Amino acid sequence: MTTREFGDIELRRVREHVWEIPQEGEMNAPARVLASEALLEHIGQDKTLEQLRNATHLPGITNHAICMPDGHQGYGFPVGGVGATDTTDGCISPGAVGYDINCGVRMMTTNLTYEDLQGKEAELVEALFDAIPSGLGGGGVVTGDAETIDDILARGMEWAVDAGYATEDDLAHCEDEGFRDDARPEFVSQKAKDRGRNQIGSLGSGNHFLEVQRVTDVYREDVAESFGLEADQIVVLIHCGSRGLGHQTCTDYLRRIEKEHADLLDELPDKELAAAPAGSELAEEYYGAMCAAINFAWVNRQLIMHRTREVFADVFDRDWREMDMRLLYDVAHNIAKKEVHTVDGDERELYVHRKGATRAFPAGRPELPPAYAEVGQPVIIPGSMGAGSYVLRGGDSSLDLTFGSTAHGAGRLMSRTKAKQEYWGETVQEELREQQKIYVKAQSGATVAEEAPGVYKDVDEVVRVSDELGIGDKVVRTFPVCNIKG
Amino acid sequence: MSFTLREHTADVAVEAAGDSLGDVFAAVADGLTAAMCDEVADTGDRFSLSVRAESREAALFDYLDELIYERDVRGVLPADHDATVRQEGDEWVVEASARGVPFDDVTARDVKAVTYSEMRLEESDAGWDAYVVFDV
Repeated sequence: MTTREFGDIELRRVREHVWEIPQEGEMNAPARVLASEALLEHIGQDKTLEQLRNATHLPGITNHAICMPDGHQGYGFPVGGVGATDTTDGCISPGAVGYDINCGVRMMTTNLTYEDLQGKEAELVEALFDAIPSGLGGGGVVTGDAETIDDILARGMEWAVDAGYATEDDLAHCEDEGFRDDARPEFVSQKAKDRGRNQIGSLGSGNHFLEVQRVTDVYREDVAESFGLEADQIVVLIHCGSRGLGHQTCTDYLRRIEKEHADLLDELPDKELAAAPAGSELAEEYYGAMCAAINFAWVNRQLIMHRTREVFADVFDRDWREMDMRLLYDVAHNIAKKEVHTVDGDERELYVHRKGATRAFPAGRPELPPAYAEVGQPVIIPGSMGAGSYVLRGGDSSLDLTFGSTAHGAGRLMSRTKAKQEYWGETVQEELREQQKIYVKAQSGATVAEEAPGVYKDVDEVVRVSDELGIGDKVVRTFPVCNIKG
Repeated sequence: MSFTLREHTADVAVEAAGDSLGDVFAAVADGLTAAMCDEVADTGDRFSLSVRAESREAALFDYLDELIYERDVRGVLPADHDATVRQEGDEWVVEASARGVPFDDVTARDVKAVTYSEMRLEESDAGWDAYVVFDV
C-alpha cells in the first residue's frame, strides 16, 4: 500500500487521486483528499490536513470529510473542504461554511469576439473600475434602507427583477434560481444589516475580482454548445460574496454557539468548527439567517453584472441585449445546504457544507434548472489573473465521491505577507499587460501583489484532477483580458 | 506594546505583545489596521467603544469584531488604538478608543472578520502575548 506522511498524519492511497486519513481516536469518520501527487505535496505543507482531520470530529459527519484538489489552510475547516452532516442527529457548522456566506462566482456570456474587444481593453478596464464599487469603503450600486435590505434577504434575485436590475432569464440561470425560500431575515442581526446597507453591489477586496475573458480552448463541443460557449468568445466572470452582512452573520452565530452550546464546542478540536446540533433552535435560526445571506450575495453579484452590462453598452455603443449578455450560471462556494444523497443505499437528508468548494451536480438532479437538466450544471473555476479559468460541468462521479462537489479555484500557495515581499504590484501589472495583454486595475498595488499569479497553485492541474476523477468535466478554458479588483 | 504580521496561507495573522491586557488588545488592533492599510493618514476624529464578554478570549474577539463593525458603519479606518480591560464579576469589560480615518484619506483593503482559529492570549514574563488570525 502506498502511503504518504506529513507530520503526524499518514495518508493511504485508495486509488489514483484519492488519499485517505483512516478513522482513529475521536474522529467520527475517515477523511479523504482528492489530489494528484503534485497537489498533495502542496496540501501537506500547511495545516490543511490537520484542519481536515479536525473536521471529521463534527457530529453526524457522513462517509468522509473531503478536501478538494485546490484545498489549502483556512480557519477551522480547510478551504476546499466538503462535509455532509445528518440533518436529524448531526449538526450545522457556521465555521464549515465560512465568514463569506455564498462567496461565489458567476459568468456572463456575450456575442462579442476577442477581435471586437482588441484596442478597447484600456478603455474598458477603466470604465469597469469607475462603475463598479470595490475595495474598502467603496459603497455599493444601491444603498438600501431597512425595508430594502429585508426584501433582498427574503427574496434574493426576485427583488432584483422587480427593481429593474435583473431579467427573468437571469433567474433561470442561477443556482436555486437566485432565491432560497428558507431565508429568514428576522434571524439576521441588526449589526449585520447595518454593515450590508451600503455594500449592496460591491466587489470588496482580497481575492475578489471582475474579469473580462476570452474563450481559448473548447474540450467538449456538445456541452459547450449547450452552455452557449464557443472559441474566441468574450465572457465576464464575477467573484465576490455577501460582504459585511454575511461576515457579521457568521460571527454572530459563532458567538451564540459558544455561549449556548459550549458542551458541543468542548468536544471539537478547534473552536472555529463551532456547530449547532441539528434540530436545535439555534441550528434552525442559523440556517434561516445563512439562507438570507445567500440571497444577499446573489443580489450583490447581480447588481455588479447589471453595471457591467451598462459599461459594455457605453464602451461598445449599443444596447447590452444586442450583445446577448446572458448569465451562464451563478455558483456558490461557501454554503451549507439541505440536500438528499444516497448513503449506503438509503436516501438521507444532509447538510452539505461546501467551504471553498463548488456544487457540481450531473444531469438528472432535480435541483438543476431546465436549461441544464439534460447536460449537468455549469461549474465555474476561476484561476489567477495571469492564468486561465475553466468552465466545467457537474461530473457523474461527483455524487459518489464528493456529495456532488468539485474544486472552486486554483487554491493559494503563498501567504499574503510573503507575496508582498516577493512581488511589487505595479511591476506585476506592467508584466501582465506587456507580456500577456492582460489589463489589470486595482484600488491598491498591494492587492495586485497579494493576488499575483505566482501565489496560486496550477489551476490546470486542479482541473485535470477534477476531470480525471469525473467530479467536474472540462468544457472550456478561458484567458483574462481585463481584470479589476479592490 | 508591539505587533507583527505573521504568515498564513490565505489570511493574515497578527502576533502581539503588551505590558497589560489592554495594551495587548490595542496592539492586536493596530495589527488589524496594518493588515488593511500600509500608510495610515493622520486625519480623523477619535471614537469610543466598549464590549462585555464571558472570557478574556471572547472579550478580545468581540473587541476586534466591534472595530470591524464600526469601520463599516462609520466609513472609517480605525487606527491608533487604545484599550483597557477589567474584570467585573463573571464578565470582562473592554473600554477602548480609536482614531477613525476617513476612507477617502487612505487606500485600504478589506479584512472580513476576526476568527478564533489558533487564537492565543497568554500571560508572559513581560506581560501578555496574543495571536489572532483574521479572515481576508
